[in-house]
Amino acid sequence: MAFLEINGVVKSFGGLRALQDVSFSVRQGEIRAIIGPNGAGKSTLFNVMTGLFPPDSGEVVFDGVRITGVLPFRIIRMGIGRSFQITNIFPRMTVFENVQVALFAHHRKSRNPFGMARRYPSVAAEALAILGQVGLSEKHELSASILSHGDQKRLEIAISLASRPRLLMLDEPTAGMSRFESRETVELLRTISREQGLTLVFTEHDMDIVFGISEKIVVLQQGGVIADGTPAEIKANPRVRKAYLGEETTES
Amino acid sequence: MDLSFLTVQVLSALRQAAFLFLISSGLTLIFGVLNILNFAHGSLYMLGAYFIYALTLHLTGPAGFVIALLAAPLGVAVVAVVIEMGLLRRIYVQEEIYQLLLTYSLVLIIDDLAKIVFGPEYKSIPKPDAISGAITIFGGTVPVYTLLVLGLAPAMALVLWYLLYKTRTGKIVRATSSDREMADALGINMSALFTLVFAFGAILAGFAGALAGPARTVFPGVGTEVIIESFVVVVIGGLGNLWGALIGSILIGTLETVGIVVFPEFEMALIYLLMVAILVVRPWGLFGRPLKVKALSDKNLGMEAQEISPVHFSMHPLVRLIPLALLLLVPLMAGRFYQYLLTQILIASLVAIAFNLLLGTTGLLSFGQAAFYGVGAYTVGLLATKAGFTPLPALLLAPVSGAVAAGLIGFFCVRLSGVHFAMLTLAFGQLVFAIVYKWYGFTGGDNGIQGIPIRPLPGGIDIASTQAMYYFALAVVGISVEILRRMRSSPFGATLKSIRENSQRAEYLGVNVKLYKWAAFVAAGAFTGLAGGLYTLMEKSISPDMIHWTKSAEPVLMTIIGGIYSFAGPAVGAAVFIVLNSYLVAWTENWALVLGLILLGMVLMLPGGVVGFINEKARGALTKRGWVRKWLFSKSTAS
Repeated sequence: MAFLEINGVVKSFGGLRALQDVSFSVRQGEIRAIIGPNGAGKSTLFNVMTGLFPPDSGEVVFDGVRITGVLPFRIIRMGIGRSFQITNIFPRMTVFENVQVALFAHHRKSRNPFGMARRYPSVAAEALAILGQVGLSEKHELSASILSHGDQKRLEIAISLASRPRLLMLDEPTAGMSRFESRETVELLRTISREQGLTLVFTEHDMDIVFGISEKIVVLQQGGVIADGTPAEIKANPRVRKAYLGEETTES
Repeated sequence: MDLSFLTVQVLSALRQAAFLFLISSGLTLIFGVLNILNFAHGSLYMLGAYFIYALTLHLTGPAGFVIALLAAPLGVAVVAVVIEMGLLRRIYVQEEIYQLLLTYSLVLIIDDLAKIVFGPEYKSIPKPDAISGAITIFGGTVPVYTLLVLGLAPAMALVLWYLLYKTRTGKIVRATSSDREMADALGINMSALFTLVFAFGAILAGFAGALAGPARTVFPGVGTEVIIESFVVVVIGGLGNLWGALIGSILIGTLETVGIVVFPEFEMALIYLLMVAILVVRPWGLFGRPLKVKALSDKNLGMEAQEISPVHFSMHPLVRLIPLALLLLVPLMAGRFYQYLLTQILIASLVAIAFNLLLGTTGLLSFGQAAFYGVGAYTVGLLATKAGFTPLPALLLAPVSGAVAAGLIGFFCVRLSGVHFAMLTLAFGQLVFAIVYKWYGFTGGDNGIQGIPIRPLPGGIDIASTQAMYYFALAVVGISVEILRRMRSSPFGATLKSIRENSQRAEYLGVNVKLYKWAAFVAAGAFTGLAGGLYTLMEKSISPDMIHWTKSAEPVLMTIIGGIYSFAGPAVGAAVFIVLNSYLVAWTENWALVLGLILLGMVLMLPGGVVGFINEKARGALTKRGWVRKWLFSKSTAS
């Protein structure tokens, strides 16, 4: 049984088929990219996989458990973390608090209404460690809203890491970053995946990044899977070259 | 039931629906395009009625009446343009609540100005003889004026339909209403469009007022009655949806007419019950859709939002004890009047701080807190009068009943957020009001309960005395406030803040967002109920007035005056509010006007409130000196 399995997922919005019969599977510890032109259904697939809305048919199985139709907060508690395409942090809280509140949720301390939040030294240490991992420890007292775009993206990764996911799903983790910031982020993701045995599933527009770090790639077009394989296989696949790479590699 | 009776009732229902549609179509149009729920829309209706009243004093005869009927809405439009260009435009980039409050301040200002100019009494507007008679249809007597209304309102609706569906500007308005980003991308001049739509919505309200004035009467508070009715209509129909406004008007118009005939006792409650029933099934109304989360920048008028930073320095624990020490000493220095005033402030502070657990901490604007205040107050009042309870056990049950009420109401409300949440809490609050107001057998109805027996506390402490009551309230409020403060700085509070900042992200931390919103709502309801119980002990009499929605606006005002993102802010705001109220009422009849102006000034100039302002200045000045920082403040955290 694969770690993550997507079986025949179909999703329509009104008359528009956003996903048609999407199936693939991901091994534990794998770095997996989902690529495809704009409108191919990548974000929809992400949203179905993390419970934002259920598929019309098909299922998603994570570590042997069917998670289709499960509410997002429960999916997260099963060990899936996600980041969003549009930066999704808690803007008017400090950088430290952003991670701290995620840790409270992870350690099931959120419901404590009487203990003081700052009297949790273990949570504080853990938050600082995670911030160190993404290179934000020096900025932990700043309001998250004043961080640079790249730092906010990194903070979002830190927030996602705080729920100690076994599977991390990143929707365009380097969107809007400078080249330098992107390369740093990619390195960071690779290190985290290697050190913690974390499974990564991500979407990305930058083909250098996709082919640089992923172990396997699935290609979507118009809501369907047109190829699924290693970077070398994908590069050689004539359908992908015709439908996608041929037109798109010159861009970005 | 005979035909003549039926005819009269049907026409009366339709007339009511016609007025409602004229008002609510403008309200919903403005919401659709500007994304502002205009509290002052009822006041614009009132202005329409007053304008036609003033005009018909000089213009007589049928021709004069027609001119007045057309000129009055145009006068209202002029007022609306001034409001939009002079005030509203400055705060489009602020959070929703500031727009809501700005329009609320206009309600206070316009209503009081109307009182100054036209006097507090009811005015009736003379109709020309040609349309003041009645005719007989199917044996029923129907005023000619009703038929005129039934002709003119659909005509106006047709004009509206033509403008929206057949003209280029109308198409732009509809496009903006359904997808603002797209409209932005098309390079539409938003500023001009907003002014136009606001003015047009005002014309509809003004026309409704001018048309309804001669049929009903007009008085300074009519706006606040009308606005609630039209809120119900647009919320039932779906905010921003014109068809929804039409169907909603017909539903409410019919229900009001049927209600008066069949259940005269509970006519008012029926309307809110219908609204609640519809929203339970369709949270966004019959024709409504979930609103996209609108970011500040969505309005994109090339303005910078004045960010109100919730990052504060918290006070050193010892510094926080100073106000408590001072409060303990007050009775040594001050007489009974001041002790009574302070007791009022303490109770109001508790309401406002509990309210701000929702607004400032969780980002939920509740417009129904008066319901829980009333439930707590009536719990103590009824237990003391009917079951002979002593104060302590009765008071202990006040937060319980407040929590139960909040638990039930919150169950339906927490699915929503933003304006929808505010409207649903408002509707539930009014439902509670309507029940208490009419249930003579149990609650005493609009008479309330007077002379509630307050027995001494154990140990013979008689809280009927002002000083004992003051200390008792200080103890209860002090403990409650400390619990609320801890709640806010706890992991629970941090989680609520994360929901305020970004509820979707919070959900993706594994937080059950609805459950946390519900828990916050219940906690706020419990403390508000406790405050209501204290009120009963202090005043020894209660009335349904304390549940009316205008009472729910008070904690909102207090919180905005004091500061939304500081813990003490609402208490400071409560003090300012109560002191102003006590002194201004003695000094001027136009206390609402002064309050409205203060609120307007706060929203425009000090959106962070008094405490937010002091905090900002003090941070700059005080933290320069190391020792001051060390002793006064601890580390900065987000509030």
